[in-house]
Amino acid sequence: MLGLIWAGFATAAVVGAFIVPAHILIQGVLGPLGVPSFDRHYGTFARALSNPLVKLYLLVLFACSFYMLAFRVWYVVRELGVPSKLGVGLVSFGLSAVGLIIAGYLLFTGP
Amino acid sequence: MSPTSSRDASQPRLDGEARATAPDRVSARMPASAGEPAIAYPVKQPFTWWTRRRGYLLYMLREFTAVGIAAWMLLFLVQLARMRQGAAGYQPLGGPLFVAISIVCLALALWHSYTFLSLAGLFMRIPLGDRTVPARLIARAMFGALAVVTVAIAGLLIWGGA
Repeated sequence: MLGLIWAGFATAAVVGAFIVPAHILIQGVLGPLGVPSFDRHYGTFARALSNPLVKLYLLVLFACSFYMLAFRVWYVVRELGVPSKLGVGLVSFGLSAVGLIIAGYLLFTGP
Repeated sequence: MSPTSSRDASQPRLDGEARATAPDRVSARMPASAGEPAIAYPVKQPFTWWTRRRGYLLYMLREFTAVGIAAWMLLFLVQLARMRQGAAGYQPLGGPLFVAISIVCLALALWHSYTFLSLAGLFMRIPLGDRTVPARLIARAMFGALAVVTVAIAGLLIWGGA
């Protein structure tokens, strides 16, 4: 089980390392400063989200980010002295799962 | 005590026994007699142990990158939720505060990419004849791939907004 959790983290961390910086750079920094980005207007955003592959890709983006958070919080909180391995794991991975479910709901039921 | 010395076979071998031979270095795990169970004392570190060394601080910063990345993704989720208000009500996130937060999150994301892809050379073993591809070459290839993927995704994001 621990091996699977570690394998999931390694995968999420590698994929996240490749794809996350581009999104933050374009959507978070350059887009608001005037560079065209797909999420700056409703029409372009909706057109992009109408493609199922884009939805799937964005779901992977959210999944990697939230899984990394859960895994690293799970480890760091224990290293800071919190003794409950199971409790911290349940909270961190549970919140991560909730975030992913919300992302999936917004992506696949939206306009 | 040498392993070949005349020891009673019923006597258990104790952890830290070699160190316990000097009276001033008795191990805390050493039981008073062979009949008592060994006691393990948990090591308690102070909450601020990670501030003691620069390496520890950088380690914690690396772990903290996940918080910054997830925080930015939550903002992206807010933007996705705003899509439900329709064309008239949709307003993308912007403004100096959002840009400032994004710059911090971008720095954290890049730190995660740098630290994790640097490790690739250590845990990837690619056979090349009798030897393996050097770790430094693998790490460089990873950074090259990061640049290519970043340019490709950035191009698609900009193209989608054009």
